[in-house]
Amino acid sequence: MTGSRATNRAMFWRIIRRLFSANPGRLFVMLLALGAGSAVTAALLNLQVDAKRRLTAEFRAFGANVVIAPRNNNQTGVDDQTLEESILQRIPSSNNENGVAKIAFLYFVAGVTPLNSVDSPFESERTIQTVVAGFEGAKLADILPSRNARVLFSDTANDSRACILGEQVAAKLQENSSGVPLRPVIHYRNLSILCSMVQVQSFGGPEDAYVFVDMATARRLTILDDRISLVQLSVSGTPERINRYISDLQKGIPEADVHGIRQFTEGEGKIYDRISGLLTATVGIVLVLTGLCVMAAMTNVAMERKNDVGLMKAIGGSVRRVLRLFLAEAALLGLAGGMIGGAAGIFLSIGLGKAVFGVAARPRLIVYPVAVALTIIVAILSAYPLRRLASIRPASVFRGEA
Amino acid sequence: MFLRIVADSFGRRPRHKLLTGAALALGMGVATAALSVSLDVGDRLAKEFRSLGANLLVTPQADSLPLEIGGVDYRPVNAGAYLPEVDLPKLKTIFWHNNVIGFSPILEVRVSSSTPRWSPASATFVRPAADGDAVLVGTWSNHPVALPDGGKFITGLQQTSPWWRVEGSWFQDGAGECIVGKAFAERNGVIVGSPLYLATTSSDGLSLKVTGIFTSGGSEDNAVVTSLSIVQQYVGKPGRYRRLYVSALTKPEDDFARRDPKTMNAGEFERWSCSPYVSSIAYTIKQVLPGADVRVVRRVAEGEGAILTRVRMLLWLVTGAALLAAALAVGASSAASVIERRTEIGLMKALGAGSGTVGFLLAAEQLLLAFVGGGAGYALGIILARLLGEKIFGAVPEPSLIVFLVIIALATGVTLLGSAIPLRRASRYEPAPILRGE
Repeated sequence: MTGSRATNRAMFWRIIRRLFSANPGRLFVMLLALGAGSAVTAALLNLQVDAKRRLTAEFRAFGANVVIAPRNNNQTGVDDQTLEESILQRIPSSNNENGVAKIAFLYFVAGVTPLNSVDSPFESERTIQTVVAGFEGAKLADILPSRNARVLFSDTANDSRACILGEQVAAKLQENSSGVPLRPVIHYRNLSILCSMVQVQSFGGPEDAYVFVDMATARRLTILDDRISLVQLSVSGTPERINRYISDLQKGIPEADVHGIRQFTEGEGKIYDRISGLLTATVGIVLVLTGLCVMAAMTNVAMERKNDVGLMKAIGGSVRRVLRLFLAEAALLGLAGGMIGGAAGIFLSIGLGKAVFGVAARPRLIVYPVAVALTIIVAILSAYPLRRLASIRPASVFRGEA
Repeated sequence: MFLRIVADSFGRRPRHKLLTGAALALGMGVATAALSVSLDVGDRLAKEFRSLGANLLVTPQADSLPLEIGGVDYRPVNAGAYLPEVDLPKLKTIFWHNNVIGFSPILEVRVSSSTPRWSPASATFVRPAADGDAVLVGTWSNHPVALPDGGKFITGLQQTSPWWRVEGSWFQDGAGECIVGKAFAERNGVIVGSPLYLATTSSDGLSLKVTGIFTSGGSEDNAVVTSLSIVQQYVGKPGRYRRLYVSALTKPEDDFARRDPKTMNAGEFERWSCSPYVSSIAYTIKQVLPGADVRVVRRVAEGEGAILTRVRMLLWLVTGAALLAAALAVGASSAASVIERRTEIGLMKALGAGSGTVGFLLAAEQLLLAFVGGGAGYALGIILARLLGEKIFGAVPEPSLIVFLVIIALATGVTLLGSAIPLRRASRYEPAPILRGE
């Protein structure tokens, strides 16, 4: 009994081996269809998981989306509403693996005079009143996107006291400057500081009328140690994550007014939902149709096996065993096609991720077994129409009737 | 005879043809749906991005430097320049008038409010002990602009700042109504329906009725917002405004768009001004608003451009992957249908058909299948694209002729390529061994 079962099993696998080697052309075609389906499934699933995460990072191109401001802002003066600098330490620097960029600003209104070799310094009628913002923390571009940055003057031999001028300030200072490189002096009360490096940027907002200096310079002028006017944060993550971060921050810093910049938090949320919906739907449809397409192609091939089925039945194979044989063949093909295609797909998605986001998509290992399993299911389902062949009579197949 | 053989092949093996056709139709359906969505997505998403509000800012050229911190301008009231309101309808006459989806002029003045506080205890309004400072913003909420062509364009803050949330209702133009920011309302105990008294040092008081309390998440939360005409009258600058926010549909900027138009030659300049880049729209607006300086709000425009480009690329890649999978599966299907017909090919050759004739015959069959399957796939794909578009954007993509042509060409190419290799092999078959069953 055990002996005959072992013989049966050996025969089963022998037939399967023969099925594969009998027609290499057909084998190639089936593997191609299954492998293509599996590759696309793996690539899209991997990209889909990765793209959503990357998109939230892309939104940081908008700059700051959270502001920490003094609570009792009744707008009576410019420089009397400040926060303790120590709150900077209480801002968590990451939001659940997503980065947080923060910049503290100290604002004051000061006089700015262009210094050039033609005029005498401190020429009073050319002094303009403007907002000076000291900043520290991340790079300014992370918080305030700008364009057309150009360096007007650089004297790095001196200590590098860099000033970033908004477009409007630069234009005002350059009026009647007769082509001499612009070099501003900032005066506040009885102190003044000369910029040793001057850069102009276009922000397209009120910042175009600002002069940005580093925080140390601002402190030296204002003698406002450990005070800041405002903190701007650029928090990445899904809309829910950002909202949770904001409410945690509100609890953590009760003395300040923490709020999301609605224009961006809300707009980003809406757009994120749309894009991720679009991506999910497109990927879903592509996967379903790819599956169906592969299935139709495979069924077409399977239907050609009528002769084989007829022969097996003629020499005494039961319907169940014949069917099991073909299903096993399909499952093996699905496994092979899925494994080859899935691996190709994951490599494909790494390349695609690099093309879209400039960073290679991180391969998710869970995607691989899912793609292989889906391919096997599609392969088995596409062999299933063979069940219809159970009712055929061997004789009529050989006579060439059916 | 040729046509008869082709027709017979379809009639004799309907199930095979049906399955090959179905694979083709499904594959092409994927391709059509993905292509239609990708073609359409730029425009749709550009509209979505307008929920970020204005991307262009117009200010007077002759203006003094603003001293603006946290949205409050600390310049004296009479400092700086103004722009005339009468020029505004011209915004809807420029080349890009269809891309301008909203604009709102702003005139601000700092005032002190002496607002009667709502006292819940006595259920009456009580006069406050001290006056608080506030910013009074004059603008449009939903203002009809009479266009030169006789039409009307309704615009205002609701288009340029769509993220504002108003409890109660927006103010009516010129009706002595206002909405107040949430922070202002909390500080001054203002509720919807309160009367509000505002004063400046230079002029008489102004009384307004509060119809709503808004949150903007920005500096405006400390402001009182009312209609432009009221503020113009109040500060004695009739028909003037100081800032204009414009929200326009744009195309993401590429390297070409970032070039300075002054350095372009005539052909390049024409191409630049005929693309709805935010910079070229800014340029056109500057032409119709004399004395104005039009600046691109970089925060909005840059982010929008970056994300649109990424999403577009992402969708094209998904489309590409879908096309590839469909092509491979369809190719495999056509290859299979040729491989299985060895005996038939052998018989035809034994009866005297040349290799060319046999190949031509099989190719004709595949072509017929490609047209039918491709057509059906296109119809299927269009339905899917409609469903997708409706579900995600609430608008259906237009079926385009280009997609149809691309799909038919693709179907033809894929089936022919798929059957090319087996056909070549078939043409080399010797009839005798095949017919002997070897």
